[in-house]
Amino acid sequence: MKKIFLSVIFCLPILASKNLSAQTMDSMNVANSYLNSNSNSTSGSNKMLIMGNAEGIFVLDSSSANFTDVNFKPIFLWMLSDKLFIEAEAEIETGDGEAHLGLEYANMCYKLNDYMTIHAGRFLQKFGAYRGRNGEAFLNRQPTKPVGFGDGGIGPMNEVGVGLQGGLPFGAMKLNYDFYVSNGVELLTDSANVGQFEYEAYLDNNKNKAYGGRIGILPFSNSCVELGVSLERNDKTGEVGSEFANIGSTMMAFDGSFFHKISPLKGTFRLLGEFKNQNTDEINLASDSGGFYAFKNYSSCFYVGASFRPDLLKNKCLRNFEIAGRYSQFNPPVDAPWGGPQRTQTSISIDYWLHWNTLVKFCYQMQTDTPNQFIAQAVFGF
Amino acid sequence: MKKKIFLTFSLIFTLIFGGMILISSCTVTQKIADKPGVQLWAENCNRCHNAPAVGEFSNAQWDVIGQHMMLRANLTCDETNKIVAYLEGAGL
Repeated sequence: MKKIFLSVIFCLPILASKNLSAQTMDSMNVANSYLNSNSNSTSGSNKMLIMGNAEGIFVLDSSSANFTDVNFKPIFLWMLSDKLFIEAEAEIETGDGEAHLGLEYANMCYKLNDYMTIHAGRFLQKFGAYRGRNGEAFLNRQPTKPVGFGDGGIGPMNEVGVGLQGGLPFGAMKLNYDFYVSNGVELLTDSANVGQFEYEAYLDNNKNKAYGGRIGILPFSNSCVELGVSLERNDKTGEVGSEFANIGSTMMAFDGSFFHKISPLKGTFRLLGEFKNQNTDEINLASDSGGFYAFKNYSSCFYVGASFRPDLLKNKCLRNFEIAGRYSQFNPPVDAPWGGPQRTQTSISIDYWLHWNTLVKFCYQMQTDTPNQFIAQAVFGF
Repeated sequence: MKKKIFLTFSLIFTLIFGGMILISSCTVTQKIADKPGVQLWAENCNRCHNAPAVGEFSNAQWDVIGQHMMLRANLTCDETNKIVAYLEGAGL
C-alpha cells in the first residue's frame, strides 16, 4: 500500500509535466486564437484618465463663521475600445462633520451604434438637467444648490439599473434621449420622513422597477437652446410586504437652457431653468389622537438662473469675472411631517475664473428658513 | 387615471422619438454636416462649461474625454469625432 502511495507521489511530477507541456501547446493555440479575435486592438488602445474636482466652502452669517464642506471627487475614465467605456466617480464629503466615502456612479457603457449607447451600473440618470449636469461644482455658478434640488428635494440623484442613451441629428436641430429601467426610489416610513424618498439607495426594497427618461431638443443649428422633458414612474416604492408596499409615485421635470456669445456686450450670457414635480399616492398614518390622517403628497420646485461673463474683453483680469444670479422655490406638501410652507432662495454671486475649470465664488444668499449668508467657495478642477 | 396619463406620455414620447429617428436618417442639412470641429467645439463645450484649450490634454486623453462628454452631454457621434479630431490635430 505504501509502495503504491510512493509511486503515485513520484509519478505525479512526471504526469504533471506531461500535462503541462500539453497545456502549453493548448495555451499557445488559445493565445493565437485570442490574438486573431482581437486583431483590431492596437498598442495603447486601452486608455485611462482621472479627472474630477475638489471643493471647499466658507459660510458667514449673523451667528457663525465656518469653513464647512470640503469635498474631493475624482472621476475615473477608462476607454477600453472604441465601443467599451467605463466612467466612475468616488465622492469624499465632509458636510456633516465627518468624512464620508460614496460611489456617485460606476457606469459601464457599450456603444451599439452612432446613435445609441447601452449602459448599466450606477449612473447619473438624466432626470432634468440640474442633477448630474448643471449642478456640478464648476458648472454651477452658485456655491449652493437651488431649494428643492438638493438633499430633501425632488427627484433621483443617481440610479442603479440599465439604460439607453444617445444623440441624433435632425435637420438643423438635434435630439438627445436617455431611457432607463432602475431600482427606483425607496419610500421612507419613519415618522419624521414618512412619504419622502431615499433617492440614492444602492439596493432595491422590492421587486418593482422604475422606468423613466428624458428627451432633449436643441432646436437651433448653433445648439444655443436646449429644452428637455423628463418622466419617471415608480409603481411601488414601499418595502415588500409592508402596508406601504403599493405606494406609487410619478415625477416630471421640464428644463431649458440658453447660451449665447453677445459681441456688442463683449461677453457670454447663460440662462438656465428647471421645473420639477412629484406626485405620490396618499399614505394613511396613525395620528396621536388614535385615528388616521392622510396628506396630499405633492411637491414641486423650480429655479431660474442667469450669468454673464465678459470673456470677449481684451483685459485679462476683467474677462475672468462672471456675475450670476438665481431664484428658486420649493413647495413641499404642507401637511406632511417634513413639509411646511413654501421656501424660496435668492442668491447673487461674483465668480473669478483661475482656469477653465477652476474658480472662486463669492455669494450673498437669502433663504426663507435660514439667516442671510455670505458664502465663498473654491472649486479646483483637475 | 395615472396609468392613462403615463401611457399618453409614453405614446407621445414614442411617436416623437420614433418619428425623429426616421426623419433624422435623411435630413441632416448640409450646413450642419459641413460644420468644422472648431465650430462644434466652441458651440457645444461652452454650453455647459468653459471649453478647455487644445493643449490642455494629450491626444490619448482627448479620446477618453470625447467618449465621456458624448455620454454626459449627449453629443452626437459625428460631433464628438469632429471635436476630438480638431483637438488632437491642434494639440500635442
